[in-house]
Amino acid sequence: MTTLWPIALITFKEGIRNRALYGITLLALLLLIANFLISGLFMQEIGKVAVDIALSAVSLSGLLLVLFVGINLMEKDLDKKTIYMVLSRPISRSQYIVGKFLGMALLIIITMVFLSMCAMLSIQLIKMAYPTYFQRFSWPMVLLALSFSTLTMILLSALAFLFASFTSTSFITLVLTVIAYIIGQSLSDVKALVEAPQVVGIQVSAITVKLVQIAYYLFPNLSIFDIKTHAAHALPLSLSYIFWTVIYGLVYTALAVTGAAVIFRRREFP
Amino acid sequence: MRKPVLIILCGIFVAVHIIALGKITEESKKLPKDEDSAYVMPGSILRITALDFDGLASDFLFLKALVYLGSTYERKEEFRVEAWEWKWIYHVLDTSTSLDPYFLDPYYFGNANLTWGGGLIKEANALMGKGSRYRSWDYLLPFYMGFNEFYFLGDNEKASESLMEASRRPDASPLYASLAVKLAYKERRTENAIAFQEYILEHTKEPELRKEYEARLNALRGLGYLEKAVVKYKGRFGRYPRKIDDLITKHIIDKVPAEPYGGSYYITSLGQVKTTSESKLMPYQRLNLLPSSPSMLPPGQMSL
Repeated sequence: MTTLWPIALITFKEGIRNRALYGITLLALLLLIANFLISGLFMQEIGKVAVDIALSAVSLSGLLLVLFVGINLMEKDLDKKTIYMVLSRPISRSQYIVGKFLGMALLIIITMVFLSMCAMLSIQLIKMAYPTYFQRFSWPMVLLALSFSTLTMILLSALAFLFASFTSTSFITLVLTVIAYIIGQSLSDVKALVEAPQVVGIQVSAITVKLVQIAYYLFPNLSIFDIKTHAAHALPLSLSYIFWTVIYGLVYTALAVTGAAVIFRRREFP
Repeated sequence: MRKPVLIILCGIFVAVHIIALGKITEESKKLPKDEDSAYVMPGSILRITALDFDGLASDFLFLKALVYLGSTYERKEEFRVEAWEWKWIYHVLDTSTSLDPYFLDPYYFGNANLTWGGGLIKEANALMGKGSRYRSWDYLLPFYMGFNEFYFLGDNEKASESLMEASRRPDASPLYASLAVKLAYKERRTENAIAFQEYILEHTKEPELRKEYEARLNALRGLGYLEKAVVKYKGRFGRYPRKIDDLITKHIIDKVPAEPYGGSYYITSLGQVKTTSESKLMPYQRLNLLPSSPSMLPPGQMSL
């Protein structure tokens, strides 16, 4: 731990200094202000729309954070060749990866906490403006949705680490991470669709169904963390769902980081 | 480049930009719009493309329908919205509620407009059924469904079932159950319609909708009042009055209630009280008020 902490801290500091972070935060704040204008257009469930927009704004900024700050942080040492200097120090390559990841996770958590507070402020202000349109609303569910969103971003950044451990440029890592995100978000819907294609009147071959089922276990299922609808309507969620989702998220993250460490250990630097 | 030149150039660019945008907006309105361009992707596909923004996509699809219908108010024609446009609005609302089946607004908006405006009663009720399944805490949607079944489809039995379902839900008015029972009496059509309309008005907040509903309620009350008078007249003289004024000259009533749509009430040879603005009470007269005679519908006008 004593060797991990300095790396984590320096990664975090490097991330905080990244200009892109301010851009992302600004975008999030603008979206949260726009929340006022947009949710006012609705007739009945203004509360639902306000929660939708606030949570989506946080989740979008978190995604941008991972894609543009996170990947940059990981690849910087490789791109600028400062990795040689780091590796000459008395730390192992695995420690380097894990330390870096912890720093990244810390950056994600702190940024998401800040964005979440802004999101909740925007919801609260809209709630004060239209108190009668918030009939079904629960702060705990909003908090849970925001925490799940944070967990998604940590998982995604772990995947970015995994990709970065074997790619040569940050652009390829970016592309792979975006693809993993899209697959992760849509996989369970695609699975539902190919398993019951008659709903939309399409035909799906048996091989496609098998492939999708294999992919379901291979790629992370990010849609289970998406409980925005539940939060928006204050629908109940079972404790075991919450428990297993957190376990799934942590285990997948650990797997990805371990994989990244294993690959990185064998990597040869020119 | 020198400063004045730059300023002039920028000025020209801005001016051309504004002109071009205005022209494009104008031209795009002339583009043909028909059923082919009105395709809506099925909800199960949109769920995939919406990634983790399903709720947001649902909100914006609903806004699309809302804005579209709102934009038709600029039109001058009597039948402002064409049949395929109503269908399209229905599909958009259906997709919006596939992305977030708990979202009240599309159901509420769909019920208010698809029925009275578009005459798409079955479609509206499909929406109500879907919403009622998901929003199991909400008594409004089964209530609306019951009203549609009673008023437009003339199916008192189903309406009674829907109302019973509504009355079982939390915070439902205890009167729903009694209304459900009352529906068994078919001859009390106007009376039941008045009772329904009163409940609907109670749940409506928007001033524009309230105005419309109040007018409808007043028209129904006028009809109900005159119907009772006609029954009294028949009891006293053994035949139906020929015209409304007969009721006054024979001292059954003091005066004819005002018709809120600016039309007037009249009596048919069969003794039915009607109003000249019946199209306000029955959307576009696509459907016949009388449940006993569905065959009287003009061919090709039912878009169910």
